[in-house]
Formats: sequence, structure tokens, C-alpha cells
Amino acid sequence: MSEGPLDLPEAAQRRFSQGAFSSGLSVSDFGACLDMGLEPVGLVQGFCAMHWGAYSMSGLGRGTTPFTGAPGAAHGYVQNYQCPHGMISSEHRTWGQNYQQNWIEDAWRTGFNSAYSRMMAEAQALGAHGVVGVIDGENPLSDTGVVEFHLRGTAVRVLDAPAPSATPWSTFLAGQRLAKSFEAGYAPVSIITAVTSVRVWSYCVTEYLLGGTGGMWANAGAAEIHQIVDAQNEVRDLARTRVRASLHGDVLHGAHLEVSAREIGPGDVEFQSRLSGNRVRRFKDFDPLPVPRPTVRLS
Amino acid sequence: MSVPPTTPRPRLRDEVRHALFDQADRVTASAEARATTSDLSIDEELNLHSIGWEPVELVSGVSLHSIPFGYWNWGQGEIEGASMAHATAFVNATTHLLREAGAAGGHGVVGVRIDRAVHSTFVEVSLVGTAVRPVNRSRRLERGVFASDLSARDFTMLMVAGWEPLGLATGASFVFAPRRSMGAAIQQQSQNVELTNFTEAMYSAREAAMQRMQEMAIEMHGTGVVDVKVQEGPMSFASHAVGFVALGTVVRLAQAAHRLIDPTMVVALDDASVAFDARTLS
Amino acid sequence: MTSPTSDLPEATEHRLEELEKGLFTSDLSVNEFLLIKEVGFHPVGFVMGSSIYHTGLQTRKWSQSQELTKLTEAMYNARELAMTRMEEEANELGADGVVGVRLDVNYYEWGKDAAEFIAVGTAVKAEDGVSRRNQLGKPFTSDLSGQDFWTLRQTGYLPQGLVMGTCVYHIAHRGLGQTLGTTGQNVELPNFTQALYEARELAMTRMQDEAARLGASGIVGVRLEEKSHQWGSHTIEFLALGTAVTKTSENVTLPTPTTIISLDN
Repeated sequence: MSEGPLDLPEAAQRRFSQGAFSSGLSVSDFGACLDMGLEPVGLVQGFCAMHWGAYSMSGLGRGTTPFTGAPGAAHGYVQNYQCPHGMISSEHRTWGQNYQQNWIEDAWRTGFNSAYSRMMAEAQALGAHGVVGVIDGENPLSDTGVVEFHLRGTAVRVLDAPAPSATPWSTFLAGQRLAKSFEAGYAPVSIITAVTSVRVWSYCVTEYLLGGTGGMWANAGAAEIHQIVDAQNEVRDLARTRVRASLHGDVLHGAHLEVSAREIGPGDVEFQSRLSGNRVRRFKDFDPLPVPRPTVRLS
Repeated sequence: MSVPPTTPRPRLRDEVRHALFDQADRVTASAEARATTSDLSIDEELNLHSIGWEPVELVSGVSLHSIPFGYWNWGQGEIEGASMAHATAFVNATTHLLREAGAAGGHGVVGVRIDRAVHSTFVEVSLVGTAVRPVNRSRRLERGVFASDLSARDFTMLMVAGWEPLGLATGASFVFAPRRSMGAAIQQQSQNVELTNFTEAMYSAREAAMQRMQEMAIEMHGTGVVDVKVQEGPMSFASHAVGFVALGTVVRLAQAAHRLIDPTMVVALDDASVAFDARTLS
Repeated sequence: MTSPTSDLPEATEHRLEELEKGLFTSDLSVNEFLLIKEVGFHPVGFVMGSSIYHTGLQTRKWSQSQELTKLTEAMYNARELAMTRMEEEANELGADGVVGVRLDVNYYEWGKDAAEFIAVGTAVKAEDGVSRRNQLGKPFTSDLSGQDFWTLRQTGYLPQGLVMGTCVYHIAHRGLGQTLGTTGQNVELPNFTQALYEARELAMTRMQDEAARLGASGIVGVRLEEKSHQWGSHTIEFLALGTAVTKTSENVTLPTPTTIISLDN
């Protein structure tokens, strides 16, 4: 490809014009790739440095009533909780709310997708059919309030194959694992990652239950803490729904789901869920492998 | 379990080309078809395939249950409220997990990752795993869906040997360690003696927890609990209380008799460096 | 008259014989040792090289992202020196190459801004007597383990040298005004993206230049390391490292593996 994609830095262009290929694959993965007829053509990468704000909603702190007009609130998950005690005090939180923070999800997607498309642009500039062994992550950059999204992988060309016509495929897998996934009947399509965020503003019952002081309010001594349970289940569900929406009937293989909690202030918590995996397409029908031979190591 | 003889496999290289080019136009499964999601590794999935099972969906379940303030204050015997909170949170999280798995047409959930934490005022249990079923058999089993923290690999070996998992069993018990008299404490200060109060509390917690786990197993008509993991010791936030939690997968023989797996002896020439994972590179 | 060699005392003859056979030292594990023998190489000795280098400071502009060329050069030259010294040791042993090279940087109490760069590895020699040195006539170097070396030989490739490229980069501090201006907005900062992109690409291009000098057809096992060493968080060294390889024979297809399931814990 003579004219590279716009985003590609000059240095990358220079690197690609050289003869030798580079690959981030280990030797065993390199060997396995050659064995599959995949020839490494270059290590490709993509980055996006983003200003990462304090996750606050531009000044909209916890108000006095549940909000309804927050950005994206109309088409996101929102659940309200009302105080059952019927008492008014500045100490007593008469309402609580769980809501999806779409703007965080959007910003995250912007960062990830920019880095991803840059990596894929590099792969395309190399005339690759696919990118294997992808590594992804976000790192805070020193103390600058900047988060860098980075993706890296090894672009490969299929030996003796027609020139690539579409966007290259991508996968987190490399080497033997990729070979095995072909044997299992899966062809790689792309890596998929989604982040979803649910903010919890707790109400009195949640506060009391978490603090163990529910006994004062007779009926709330030992009970399930519904508001948090709702948020925790919802944030996982949202991530799965989002990923499912981009699968278009394909399979998500080797998924990894993790959820982190961050306390922003008293009674104010954010749950973030991250789900990533390989979107793969079944290209042949189920064909069981022979039962593996059990072994015991002699050492 | 008899495995159908497989036809000779095409060369890997041809298979890859076939997958990437000849099948490129193969229509993606129709939109209404439910996409499969799984957190299994390719090895685990191949293991499952070898016994005719497949992943269906990544499922999860979470529960938090409160422990009213004051339960950990000085007292005697078991802290029943805490033991109860643990049991309830576990059951609720499992129920959510199994409901999701059942809705997706799974027969069971394998490789359940269990995150558990006991705080002074609440217990937190979070479960994630992959629902699995025999290939293309979405019909639910009469006896319901099982959950197991065994890896897909262990599940495969268990099935090969003629056993089946029935569910997760857990037992927890939190017990006060009786306070020593001031005199005894001073006397023991400079001696190497057994702290009998702690030993006794530990014993009582262990017995109660194991008992509860066993009861759960019997309720599931299990004949054994494998891969039991225990956690024991004083509570970090209440040093005068000790806790014991036991957790394992309930199993029973699914066939007439146990089948020997007859392992082969191997000598490995690979050091740890070969177990490479591209994701650890960065 | 007897031949001159038979004049030597019996013990000396025996000793020479032993040395000719070669007593070797190596930090390879037994598995690695066996695998290296399997592909026709023999370890000849444990080799190392080091250089203690003063990495002076370079003034950095607070608000500008830029490469610190003096530091880049220092970091590169120091490693290169350590590697060259290791290669010289291997050369004296008549080795064809060095495997399992580890490249470390140590900082010591006694020297502020002084760092010790060390390269260690095991020199190996082909048993068939045919030279496997690289096209510069030097022993090849590689950070491959014995297992990796075996696997690479199965694919028909031979290492040519451990290649590296580095770039020390200063990342701009953001002014207060800029910070306040974008509070609460998670937006891309194109300048940062571009600067970091450039730094990494420079390191990788330099690594590839080295591979090109060796006439290598590719680099495997590329690692990218990002370290701040002792310069504070805004100055980062981007180091790209990999083993340059060249194809020496046709692909030897890996044998079809047997599917096994390990019962070991």
C-alpha cells in the first residue's frame, strides 16, 4: 500500500518500509504460526492518550432529588430507591439511585476504538490478513491526569493466499492456542472489549445494612443488600449485553470478566465492569477431538 | 463414555486457509440465534468437546448480605447471625448464577470463580462461570442445573472416569473464642502453652462448617465432595472471633462403576518458560 | 626417535585431551542443555560483559514532549558495550553464538547517575564444525532459552543477533490552565498520543536497523519495555528488544502433537 492511512505516524511508515519483519511472538508461537501458514509481517501497535477527568459529571454532584436529565439517562439503566421510614433529617438519605454512566462508557470506547483502529491501520499498511497475539490495556501516564490506551499485536499474512480484501481480523490468541482454536472449528473475527459503569448513590436502607446499623429500623436487621446487588448484577449484565450486541450471532471465546469498585465519597460508589474476549466464527460443524491421553509427569 | 472414531484431520495449514477464505462468506449465524459466550480457554473447550460438551454462556451471580452491628461483640459460642449471612449470600448468588445458566439452556456451570469476603457488617459473594451442556442439547435436565468450581479440564476428567458434579456445597461457621481470665493471661504471658480457648473455638467452628457442607452435599444426593478448599483463622476485624469456611464440588458416580483412566507416564522437557501467554508481555 | 607428541608426560596428554573435548560451564538447565545438544550445538562456556556508564542529565523543557538524544545515546552505547564485551569472550572461546542472553541494568549506591549494564549468556558451538556465525563474522547472540532455540531450529531459522533500539523521551507537563480547561471531560489529547507513538516507533525502527545490518529476515520475540529508571516520572525510556533471525533451511514442519491432559497439579 503506497499511501498509508492518515493516522499512521511517520516513524511507523519508515519502519514498515524496511525489509525485515518484526514480531512480538515468542519463539514457540512464532513456530506455531509458521506451521499454520501464517507469516508474521510486523509488530503493529496503536495508542490513544486521553485526558481522564475525575469521573464527575461536570459539576453535577449528588443533588437533593434523584436526577432524571443526566446525559444518557433516558436510554440507560436507572433505578430509584425510596426510604421506607418516612422521616426527614439531613442525616437520613431518603432516596437512592443506581444509574449507568454512559459518558464514561463512551469516553472509554473512544479511547479503545481509536487505539484499535490505529493498530489495524498499521496492519493494513503492511498488507496483513490478520493480527494475532493482541495485548491491550490502559495505563495512567505519570501524574498528568492522562490515561493511555494501548494495543499491540503481530500482523500476519496467510501464505499463498489472495491479497486481503477486507479489514484484517484480530485475536488475543497466538501460536498453539490459535492453532487449536482453528482445530476446534473457530475462525477469528476480532477482539472485543466493553466497559460499563454503574454509579450507586445509596439510600438509608443500604447505608444501614452496609454499616450494620439496620437493627435500629426494626425490619432491616439482617437482609440482602438489594441496591448493591442490583448494581453489581446490572453492571455485569450491561457488559454482556453490550458485547452480545456486537457479536452478531458469532461466538465470544476466552472471555474475561472483571468488576472493580471505587468509592468516590460516602455513600457514593462506582462499579466498573470490563468484559473482553475473542469474537470467533464457527466455520465447521462440531467434530469432537479424541479424548486426550492423561499423563503424569515423572519428575 | 464411547467417543466416535474421528476421521483423519486435514493438514492444519489447509484447515486455516479453508477457515479464513473458503468460509468467509458463510453467513454468520442468524441474528436471532443466541450467540455463545464463554470464558474457557481453548484447551478447556477442546477438553469439553472431547466428551461431547460445549459452552453456552458466560454467567454470573452476586449477593451481599448484612450482618447487624454488634454481632461480633463479646459473647459465647457461635455467631449465628454471621454464619447465617454467609450461607444466605452464598445461596442467593448461586441461585442467580443457576437461573442465568438455566435460561441460557445450560446443564451446568463449570470453572466457577468464587470471590468471597466477610466484612464486619456484611458478607459479599460473587460468582462467574461458563454454562455448559452436551452439544446441541438445550433441553433442561430434570434435576436442574449444577454449579462447580472445578475447571473444565477437571470436569472432563471426572466425566471420563464416570462421575458427575451435582453442585457447590459450602459451610461457614464463626465462633467466639472465650475470654481468658486475667490471671490465666498473666500466667501464660511468658510461657509456650497452647491457647486452649482458641483451639476449642477453632474446633467448634470447623466441626460446624464441615457439618453444614456435608449436609448440603447429602441434600444433593452426592456421594462425595472433591477439591474442598478451607479458609480458617481469626477474623481480621474481630480478633476474639474465629471463622472456618469450607467449599467444594459435590459429586456422585454417574455410571455403574468407576472407570480407570490409566495415565501415561511422561518426562517433560519444557521448563516454565514454555507456558507462554502473550498477554503477559506488556 | 619417537614422535614429539609422545614426549609429553602421560598426564599432560590426558589433560589436553580433556580440554580439546572441552570442559564447559553454563547456566543452562539440564532440559535446555539436552535440547541444545539435540539440534547439534554444544555449550562452550558461560560468558559475560559489563560496562559501568555515567548517564548524564539533559535539560528538559517543562512543557515540551521531545526525545532526549543524549540519554538515548548513553543508554544505547552502554548496552552495546556490554554486549560487545560478551561477544568478545564468546569469540575467544571459538563459539558460534550465545544463547539465553540476559541484559540487565543495575543502579548502585556509589554512583549517582551511574549504572552498570550487564550482559550474560551461554556460548555455544556447532558440533559439525561448520561456522554458524552471523554475516559480520561474529558469534550470534540471542535471548532465547534452550527450549526456544530448539523450537526455532525446527522452523528452519537461525538467530543472527540480539537487536535493540531505544529512545528516551520526555513527556510534557501540562500547564494548570490546560488541566482546568478539560476537567470532567474525557477527551483525546492528540499531542500526547503522537509523542508517545513517535517514541515507540523510533525505538522499534532503530531495532530494525540493527536487524537490517545483520541481513536478518525478521525479528522474533520483540519486547517493548518502558522504564523511568531514575529520571522521574516524566522521562521514559522505550526499549525494544528482540532476536533477529534468518532462514537457513526449508521449514521443518512440526510433528503432529499428541493431545494429552496432564494430571499434575
